[in-house]
Amino acid sequence: MSTILKIINLTKRYNDETLALEGINLEVSRGEFISVIGPSGAGKSTLLRCINRLIEPTSGEVIFLGQHVEKANKAELRKIRAQIGMIFQHYNLVPRLSVLENVLHGRLGYMSSIKGLFSLYSEEEKEEAIEWLRKVGLEKEIFKRADELSGGQKQRVGICRAMMQKPKLILADEPIASLDPKSAEVVMETIYHNCIELGIACLVNLHQVEIAKKYSTRIIGIKSGKLVFDDTPDKLTDEMSRFIYEGKESEMYQHQ
Amino acid sequence: MAVSQHSVKGSRREKISIGHKRTQRQQRIFFFSVLILFIFSIVMIDIDGSAIAKGMERLPVILASLTQISFEHFLEMLAGMVTTVVIAFLAVLFSFVISFFLAFLVANNTTPNRYLGLGLRYAVMIIRSVPTPIWVLIAVASIGFGPMAGIIGLMFPTSSFLIKAFSAQIEEEGTEVIEAIRSVGGTWIHVVFKGLLPTILTGMIATLGVRFEIDVHESVVLGMVGAGGIGYLLQSYIQYYDFANLTLGILIVFVTMFLLELSLNRIRALLRTQSS
Ligand SMILES: Nc1ncnc2c1ncn2[C@@H]1O[C@H](COP(=O)(O)OP(=O)(O)OP(=O)(O)O)[C@@H](O)[C@H]1O
Ligand SMILES: [Mg+2]
Repeated sequence: MSTILKIINLTKRYNDETLALEGINLEVSRGEFISVIGPSGAGKSTLLRCINRLIEPTSGEVIFLGQHVEKANKAELRKIRAQIGMIFQHYNLVPRLSVLENVLHGRLGYMSSIKGLFSLYSEEEKEEAIEWLRKVGLEKEIFKRADELSGGQKQRVGICRAMMQKPKLILADEPIASLDPKSAEVVMETIYHNCIELGIACLVNLHQVEIAKKYSTRIIGIKSGKLVFDDTPDKLTDEMSRFIYEGKESEMYQHQ
Repeated sequence: MAVSQHSVKGSRREKISIGHKRTQRQQRIFFFSVLILFIFSIVMIDIDGSAIAKGMERLPVILASLTQISFEHFLEMLAGMVTTVVIAFLAVLFSFVISFFLAFLVANNTTPNRYLGLGLRYAVMIIRSVPTPIWVLIAVASIGFGPMAGIIGLMFPTSSFLIKAFSAQIEEEGTEVIEAIRSVGGTWIHVVFKGLLPTILTGMIATLGVRFEIDVHESVVLGMVGAGGIGYLLQSYIQYYDFANLTLGILIVFVTMFLLELSLNRIRALLRTQSS
């Protein structure tokens, strides 16, 4: 198995006081689908954002495809980010633009400022974007404005945008936390099957232990910034879950 | 039943105060402060009642003289009015080009450097605290009388107004879309033009409309301090008590303003239906 991502002793401190991540070590291989669970404020979002440096890590190493992300300069960082897809809880689409244009934004990392500015996407890229929208069942929505869609549809657009990057790794920060159970299932299925099919490694932050168990090849538990569990789903006992969510047990069942 | 019981009891009890205590106190303090300031101001400027009375006596005469009207300088005044509007238009246009980029440098969520953003923010504040006529006088002093001085003089307050308004509109967009564009490897230009601009453009255009209206008003007045346009003509008519021409000048300004307001309202309504 080839290593996609390696995290060594990663620490993040906000404003010199909040220690959001403390000495995280993690190795992710091709084709792995990893759920990251933990209570609110544990540091899940911080972990994901330190990987593509939407948040600057305080110390430690992040190695993506053999390249040190934390040492990358601006141009190198763009190239790294271009190969890492990200899916957000609030979809983060540009509301006034068409669905198709939002999906094509996945290509911006491969384009110069000028090319991107004038939307000079190639015809192949456009066809590919349309193909992805078909694949997730949005063929009727291609030319609608993004803000006209339902939450579940928006998230599928978000998935298409990430897929357009031809990523080696996808980071999904609570992709179903704002969705009703039915849309949530469609979205999880879409992420899971496409990642498995294309061998894309995936890190998904989830609140719900049940969903994590259902979809993961591996589960990581984070508690107060520390990695306290890292194993296959069948090893995640009820006792372990209770330990991870200690004091915040009610969150384990949220939304589901 | 419960209601009648309440009213019987209520009549005997002390009246229930429904206000928010702290707000009421603040309002009282505010009221008294204004009162004290008012009294102080009256004493300060030494208002002369007899002068006002005398002025009032003259008012009918002045109003009567304003009923005379002369069309002798009509074309000249029309050209002046056009100049005044053009000064405002160009000032807004040039200021837009400057403010657009500066606003993205100032806004918290898009500034490439926090200290640069903060520095620019203070610069804008300082520029705003200097009244427009002073900017025009400085421009007049350096490049001489005429429309160009008006344009340059107006550009300072207009740019600072637009930077402030635009950066607030940018900040309202939060960080979500910005994160998305950065996460795919987009550049700052991509964040600005692909991520944010589509959403805030209509708001920006509406702001430009508001500022254009303000600048036309300003431009009329600024003509009187040397920026050219109709303000200059009005100034000279007033100086020589040339009421016949003054009446027409005021009429032209009034009609222009009225038409401007009407058409800007139409544009605003159009933008609103388009954006929803
Ligand atoms: N920008 C920030 N500035 C200061 N502290 C922050 C910031 N972002 C997060 N934190 C703190 O870091 C800790 C971890 O936050 P993080 O958002 O990573 O948690 P999370 O596990 O994603 O929680 P949730 O499940 O609620 O999304 C929290 O204590 C939070 O208050
Ligand atoms: Mg989070």
